[in-house]
Amino acid sequence: MTGLLWRACRKGNHMWWTSGPRRVRRSAGALLAISALALAGCGGAGQGTTDAGSGGDRTLSVWIMEGTNPDARPFFDELSTAFRTQTGATLDVQFVPWASAHDKFVTSIAGGTTPDVAEVGTTWTGEFGEAGALVDLAPRVRDAGLSNGLVTGLTEAGTVGDALYGMPWYAGVRSIVYRTDVFTEAGVTPPTTWDELVTAGQKIKAARPDLVPFPVAGDNEYGVYPFVWGAGGQIATENGGKWTSALDSPQARQGIQFYADLALKHGLSTPAAATWKETDLQDAFTKGQAAMIISGSWTPKAILEAAPELQGKIGAFPIPGPSGGLAGSFLGGSHLSIFEGSKNQDLAWQLVQLMSTGDFAAKWGAESSFFPGTTALLQQAAQSSDPLVAPFAKQMVDAGRSVPVTPLYGQVQGKKTIPAMMSAILTGTGVDQATSTAAAEMNQIFAGGA
Amino acid sequence: MTDGVTTVRERTRSGRGAATAGPRPGRSRRSGSRAARPWLLLAPALLVMGGLLLYPLLRVVVISLQDFGLRQLVSGRTSWIGFDNYAELLGDPDLWRTVLPNTVVFAVVAVALTVVVGTLVALLLARLRPLTRGIVTTAIMLAWAVPAVTGTYVWVFLFTPGDGIAVQALDALGLTDAATANPFASRISFYAVATLNVVHHGFPFVALTVLAGLLTVPQEVTEAAIVDGAGAWRRFWSVTFPMLRPVFAVVTVLSTIWDFKVFTQIYLMPGGDGVNRGVLNLGTWSYVESFAQNRYGLGAAIAVLLTVLLLIITVGYLRLLFKEDEL
Amino acid sequence: MRASSLGKGLGVAGLLLFTLFPVYLMVVTAFNGRANAGSRSLWPEDWTFRNFTFVLGEGGFGRYLSNSLLVALGTVLAGALLALLAAVAVARFRFRFRTSVLVMILIIQMVPVEALVIPLFIQARSLGVLDSLFGLVVVYLAFSLPFAIWTLRGFVAAVPVELEEAAYLDGASWGRMFWSVLLPLVAPGLVATSVFSFITAWNEFVFALTFMADQDNYTVAVGLRRFFGQYGTDWGALMAGSTLITLPVMVFFVIAQKRLTDGLVAGAVKG
Repeated sequence: MTGLLWRACRKGNHMWWTSGPRRVRRSAGALLAISALALAGCGGAGQGTTDAGSGGDRTLSVWIMEGTNPDARPFFDELSTAFRTQTGATLDVQFVPWASAHDKFVTSIAGGTTPDVAEVGTTWTGEFGEAGALVDLAPRVRDAGLSNGLVTGLTEAGTVGDALYGMPWYAGVRSIVYRTDVFTEAGVTPPTTWDELVTAGQKIKAARPDLVPFPVAGDNEYGVYPFVWGAGGQIATENGGKWTSALDSPQARQGIQFYADLALKHGLSTPAAATWKETDLQDAFTKGQAAMIISGSWTPKAILEAAPELQGKIGAFPIPGPSGGLAGSFLGGSHLSIFEGSKNQDLAWQLVQLMSTGDFAAKWGAESSFFPGTTALLQQAAQSSDPLVAPFAKQMVDAGRSVPVTPLYGQVQGKKTIPAMMSAILTGTGVDQATSTAAAEMNQIFAGGA
Repeated sequence: MTDGVTTVRERTRSGRGAATAGPRPGRSRRSGSRAARPWLLLAPALLVMGGLLLYPLLRVVVISLQDFGLRQLVSGRTSWIGFDNYAELLGDPDLWRTVLPNTVVFAVVAVALTVVVGTLVALLLARLRPLTRGIVTTAIMLAWAVPAVTGTYVWVFLFTPGDGIAVQALDALGLTDAATANPFASRISFYAVATLNVVHHGFPFVALTVLAGLLTVPQEVTEAAIVDGAGAWRRFWSVTFPMLRPVFAVVTVLSTIWDFKVFTQIYLMPGGDGVNRGVLNLGTWSYVESFAQNRYGLGAAIAVLLTVLLLIITVGYLRLLFKEDEL
Repeated sequence: MRASSLGKGLGVAGLLLFTLFPVYLMVVTAFNGRANAGSRSLWPEDWTFRNFTFVLGEGGFGRYLSNSLLVALGTVLAGALLALLAAVAVARFRFRFRTSVLVMILIIQMVPVEALVIPLFIQARSLGVLDSLFGLVVVYLAFSLPFAIWTLRGFVAAVPVELEEAAYLDGASWGRMFWSVLLPLVAPGLVATSVFSFITAWNEFVFALTFMADQDNYTVAVGLRRFFGQYGTDWGALMAGSTLITLPVMVFFVIAQKRLTDGLVAGAVKG
């Protein structure tokens, strides 16, 4: 195949060199520079193809989600060095944006172009595992004596039947990040109930009309869940192994209605937010346009890095329940998984161990402001008194929740059912109708398992 | 410009004769290898096109009749499910409510605008002095050269909710409220932006092709019409348009085909990758079902539907172009 | 007369604004040091190359550019060769099924490329050319061939047969005649079709997105998407990348402008 291209290239080049009548020569001459490039180019293409095909003997390709750690490069440089010292193998680390990661994984699984090791979002692990793309790590975890030291929420999310398809790496939870200076100016304190949240928003709106008090992003499912759970609703319920959506239950609808009303009725958001992703929330906050956003434990650091002028002006508080207590918030995070297509699975496991336990795991947690996936390290982190860590730790330990633990839920997420529902509501569809549509769509996926 | 066009016309005319006269003198030479030669020359191109265009076209039909998901792809085992995918597709109210209208209405509007704008621009260009014409043509070429991917990002940038320049401008004109408007949220405004993008990218082709045609209209014909007292509008419809009918047929049908299957411009806009169900078209829907949902069977069925629609248009294209047998 | 020239002037001004403004905005934003801080000005206060250095350095765009260049040139060269041979066959020879072949080439142009993503993806998977530049070259070659053959056919037919016969009389073989008579004369047509093939390959998005898993194999169209990502959109980088992608295409268009329009007329007017 490669040879064919090369031959084609050579012949093609030959064409441009052929001399002809003067009139023609000029136009061919215009492309002379390019054909010179092509000479170099064709050789290069051939080589590239060979490299991609063979996969390399002692090189592990690793996909890591982009943005978890504001600047992950030094960490991975250090990791690469340590791994080379330990095993003699090199790492080829690539950073994948979260937004396009699910599609990219699915496509690469379908195409057989998966990496050796990848960071996989906890809600996807079951889906990919069941598709036969991931290695069952349960025996290796048992042999390494790690079975009891892993954070339960994360192992649950990675387990299908008896198989564990992902090694817990880190976990995080979303709470509310706010501007302390704006709160002082408006004379409000962090709300502890939903009514207080509305009041706080309205006071901020009055005191600082230039700010969006609490943007409600349409394309951010993790902002919706706390209000569903907080109102006593469920996303879906399981009965004898069969899942049914509960988004159209009265409680869930009430919670979603409240969340939407923050924008629609109380005017605490901006219509532009109807298409916002979670990152747009952060963007707005960084630019100093928003007073409160639902945001992950890992974001304050990134925000401060992007907007140093906010130093000392940001704080965090857990998402409150309707009348006190805490609303459930999605305990999400990432696994490290090994792909079945990897030719170096033992080597890959060594890397997974190196990353998910001990110094590197602690360092990753500290750098990224996520909580580590082993219980020992988590307990250490939860005792922090840092005002930008403690509220998140509280939310995670007291009110961390999972989305339905079934590979089918990965498909629901792939179909963007919740974002589609929320952006529909924010652009005028009634809550009853939108939740019914979303519930039907979800049930179809649960029923079909297609 | 002018001489370029006339040369081509002469060339084509003599070429048409050559195609019939050409082989005869050769045939008296070695006649055995002579018969095989065209096929030898054609073979590589036919192989590539057959293997990468025709065969996949059949394959997509086959896949659309199967239950083809990720598991089937990995294991290589597929099961026939007859017309289930089509039943699901045609029974989906979204197809009739959103996807098909999005595809068809967008194509019709975009094509109409592209052709009208392109023609107007061509008429304007034809009236300009050569130097000005050269400058403006170059500017048009620049617009044409902007790749769909980058063009789309520029239009998204212009219409970014809140602080996009176009949104601000509309706000200044009192047409929208920049603080509340989100052009990507509603179906109409989403496709309005997409239409701007597609027309901006598509009209240069129409303008330059029509201009090339306009320059072949003999000066005397136009002058005669002026002497007869025909206004510009009359002149266009009674002289220019009839003479350039084939040119208009080509640009219209080609634009229709391009705009029907527009993918990149939609997929890269906020919400266009499947989040905003209201803006899916056949192309993006097929892609999302296949590569995000792993339902290759259903995705293939959508692709087949798109192909059939385009085939109908293509037949129209052939009818328009080749009324007389002139292949 | 005055009114008409005023109208013309207005028309030209409006046209230039509509065509050039997006391009202008792209370039200006690429040089705007504060594009990411929400600056949307039409004339940046802070001119900088930072966006470009970021895109080419940390953004890894140099790699994407060279990938795209390889793919595009591979497509152009292979495409020019195959299309020329095929065009000679249909323009210079009368053979059985000639008309069928022509009709097929015409119809196949209309096949929606998007419809072929699924089967071609599966085919490429089984041939093991996913995630390789070569796979893309082959696919783009197939997409650009029908148009190239169709256009070149007009150019080949336009070469007077007498010239060929003169070559034969001088004792040249068919191959010799092809290289020294036919090829030079259809070179303008080759330029036109090459530009089209180049642009097809350079701009293509769907297949590059679907086929490439390894970031090192991304082409520019897909690579650009990285800046439309995680922490909101990096408009400065996005526009700098866009400018880098657009520039070569523009240069090509302007260089080949006349040939391109000739080619269009040959392809379209002739039908």
